[in-house]
Amino acid sequence: MIKLTKLTVQTRRSQELVDVTDEVERVVAESGVGEGLVYVMTSHTSSGVLVTEGLECLERDVVAHLERLAPDQGDYWHNRYLDIDGRLGFNAGAHLKGVISGYFAYFPISGGKIVKGGRQRVYFAEYDGPLSREYYVQVIGE
Amino acid sequence: MIDFHTHPLLVEEMIARYPDLARIARDVFYIRNRAQPLETFLLELDVAGLERAVLLPIDTTRTRGCQIYSNEQIAELCRMCDRFIGFASVDPYRPDAPEVLARAVGDLGLRGLKLAPGIQEFYPDDRRFFPLYEKAAELGVPILFHAGMTWEPGAQAKYGHPSRFEDIAHDLPQLNVVLAHLAWPWVLEAAALAAKYPNLCLDTSALYFDNPRDFVRFAMAEQVPLTLWERSLRKQLLFGSNYPRVEVKNMAWAVRALGLSDDCQRLVFADNARRLLGEEQVA
Repeated sequence: MIKLTKLTVQTRRSQELVDVTDEVERVVAESGVGEGLVYVMTSHTSSGVLVTEGLECLERDVVAHLERLAPDQGDYWHNRYLDIDGRLGFNAGAHLKGVISGYFAYFPISGGKIVKGGRQRVYFAEYDGPLSREYYVQVIGE
Repeated sequence: MIDFHTHPLLVEEMIARYPDLARIARDVFYIRNRAQPLETFLLELDVAGLERAVLLPIDTTRTRGCQIYSNEQIAELCRMCDRFIGFASVDPYRPDAPEVLARAVGDLGLRGLKLAPGIQEFYPDDRRFFPLYEKAAELGVPILFHAGMTWEPGAQAKYGHPSRFEDIAHDLPQLNVVLAHLAWPWVLEAAALAAKYPNLCLDTSALYFDNPRDFVRFAMAEQVPLTLWERSLRKQLLFGSNYPRVEVKNMAWAVRALGLSDDCQRLVFADNARRLLGEEQVA
């Protein structure tokens, strides 16, 4: 079977990592899939999905390091009026953070549970918040 | 701390009640971002360190066949959250425009008048509209005019040149007039008027290229000297973001990054707005 679930998350800061592991595990459990795989994907290009250890200090380090790599206030080509939006872009820093962190995560499913390291957590990464965001969880298996 | 210039065009709860607001936002006001729950608007204010926001409608019934929020819808949204300060709008060509404004203030509790000469297609110094302005003065509410360039399709900047507002500031000294967007690109011309007329203020909601930090610095520290705001116009400058054309946080950070003194920033972000809203007299 293949099951796609759309979830929403209300981010509350300009940049933050939101731990969505419990939501992903719930979707997997509700799918009834015993053996298979699961993808978690954001549909927003100024956000990301990433996996790291579930510690607040590391969450802050990830956000701070991405800001060093792709600062919000950089000198970008994207700093211009975008007719498709009716407003200026100027959030290239957020898009670049999304490129660096990636837009999806993958895990195997075995015995009806996600196979992952004991310290691994799945995060929705907000780079241009606060916003109400959508992300998708697709479960494939039997 | 108050954001004096926001448009609640992408509030999901209001679009759910009035689905045509989605089309109006997309095609008339021309903002193409995805709608957000009301909570996002409030979080935007939180992240920017602001408590309240002025909500602006535009009555484009005559020129576009719709209203970019009606006065009743603004009042309805204000009832959903006490952090909002609602303004009214009215088509100045309406013979009963002064009465419409009086009802919006008296019955709906709205606290200012928003007029957008570009998309409403009128020259603000046309004498036919002075009864409306006189009514605003009588009611003790400010008028916030769009001034300068506008992104709205078909809306021309010629209606919003600063020179078009001098008669109003001159003839109605008891009326508080706000020229939005620094009247960009005519910042120097707008600042000249403000320097002469103490009842004329400017708001900071200007962003036409680059990013907020760089553009605000260009408009406020290169087109005119930064000392102009610090020394001469500190009581006539209001923080405004123009959300959702730009996030509140980004404009707030840009204005704070200018390096204005703490007491000047206090005036820009809070005291000047409160004075215009009749909440506080600033010495």
